Amino acid sequence: MDKKTILDNGLLEQYLLGELNAQECEQIEQVLASDTELKAQFDAIEKDFETLGLENAIEPPKGIKFQLIQDIREAKDAKNNKSNNNIKYYLGIAATVAVLLMLGNFWMYNELSVVKDQLQTVETEKTELNDRLNDLNKQIDEDISLFSTIAHPDTEQYVLKGNTLMPDGKVVSYVNHSTKSVVINTERLPKLDAEYDYQMWADVEGEMINMGVITKDQNLMAMTYIDHAESLNITIEPAGGNNHPTVEKLVTNIYIN
Amino acid sequence: MLLDEQAFIFGKSLTLMQNDNFLIQQLKDKDERALSLLYDKYAGAIYSVIIKMVRDEGKAQNLLQDTFMTVWDKAESYDASKGRFYTWVFRIARNKTLNFLRKVEPLIQTDDFSVYDSKEEAISIDAKYLELNGAITTLEEHYKKAIELVYFKGLTHKEAHQQMDVPLGTFKSYVRQAIKQLRKAYTKTLSVLLLILNAL
Repeated sequence: MDKKTILDNGLLEQYLLGELNAQECEQIEQVLASDTELKAQFDAIEKDFETLGLENAIEPPKGIKFQLIQDIREAKDAKNNKSNNNIKYYLGIAATVAVLLMLGNFWMYNELSVVKDQLQTVETEKTELNDRLNDLNKQIDEDISLFSTIAHPDTEQYVLKGNTLMPDGKVVSYVNHSTKSVVINTERLPKLDAEYDYQMWADVEGEMINMGVITKDQNLMAMTYIDHAESLNITIEPAGGNNHPTVEKLVTNIYIN
Repeated sequence: MLLDEQAFIFGKSLTLMQNDNFLIQQLKDKDERALSLLYDKYAGAIYSVIIKMVRDEGKAQNLLQDTFMTVWDKAESYDASKGRFYTWVFRIARNKTLNFLRKVEPLIQTDDFSVYDSKEEAISIDAKYLELNGAITTLEEHYKKAIELVYFKGLTHKEAHQQMDVPLGTFKSYVRQAIKQLRKAYTKTLSVLLLILNAL
C-alpha cells in the first residue's frame, strides 16, 4: 500500500473512523510512521473530526460519570479484596507451616530431653561399671600380689594356733624375707563384735611393733613386713587398732626364724 | 454569538491539547481524577455520536459509561504516536455501539447494510439529540449528509454511499470536500480568535 492508494481511496478517513480491519490498519500505520507529510494530513483530519465532535457535544446526565467512578472503585475494591484474600490464604499457609515447625521442634526437643536423660543414665552406668572394673582390677592385682607371695619359693608358712582365749581359731601366715612381705589367711579366725578388731604385731628385741589391723571382710590379706621380727602375735584390740598391744588379749603367737 | 461560541470551543480545544498528554499519562497510571477530567472534556462529543447511532437515551448512556470503562481498563494500550486520544475513544465508542446494535437487533439487519435506516420511524427520540451544530450546518446538504452518515451514524463508506445512492468514488470525494470546507471554517475561526487575542 502506498501513499497514492491511501489518498485516492480516502483510506485515512476510513482508518480514522475505525472502518478498516486489523490488517488494513496495520498497513496504514506503517505508511503513516514513515511518511511525515501523510502523517501531517492525518493529524489535520483528526483535528477536524475532533473539533466537529466537540462542536456537536451533548452533555450527558451527571449521573453517568458518578456511576462510572463508582464502578471503577468497586472493581478496584473487588481486586484488592481478592489480593487480600490471596494474602490471607498465603498467611494461612505460612501460619500452618509455622505451627507444624513449632510442633516438630517441640517434639524434637522432647525427644532430645529423653535422649539426654538416657545418655545421662548410660554415663552414670558407665562410670559405675568403670569404678567396678577398677575395683576388680585392683582386687585382682592385690590377689595376684598375695598369691605371688604365697607361691614364692622362698616363702615360709607359719600356722598361728589359738591359745586358751581362742581354742578353735588359727591363722596361717606366709613370710618371705627376700621380698619382705607377709600374707595371712584369716579364714579360721572367730568373728569379733563390731567394737573389736584383731591386730597383728611383730616382736623385735622385746618390742611389739604394729603389723596392721586384720580386716574383717577378707580371708587373705597382706600385713606389714617388719625386719628382724622374732615372733608374730595377734591380739584383740578396740575397733580400728591400738598403739600398744593389750597383752592380756593375746590370742595366738608363733616364733619365726 | 456563533463566533464567540466557536472561539470558546477553540480555546477549549487548545487547552485540551496542552493538557492531554499529562492527563493521559496519569490515566495510564490509574488516576481517577485524570479519567474524570478527560471525561469532562470528551464525554459530550462521544455521547453525541453514540446517541445519534442508537437513538435511545438510556442505551446511549449505558454505552457511554461502558466506553469510558474500557478507556479506563485499556488506557495502557493507547498509543499517542498513532493518533489523538479523542480518535481512540471515538473508535471504542463506535465499535461498542455497532456491536450493541448488531447484537440486540439482528432481525432489523436484513439485506440492507445499514443497521437502522429501516426503523428510523419506529423509535421516537427528542429531535435535539439528532440535530447537528456548528460549522457542519453551513455545508452543502450532500456534504453534510456524507459526514453525518460516517461520523455520527456509524456507517462505513460502503454502506453510506448506498444510502445516499451515489457511486463510492463520488461519496469519498464528498467526504474529502466536506473535510476541506470544515477545515476552512475552523481555520477562519482560529484566525479570528488569534486576531482577537492579538488585539487584546
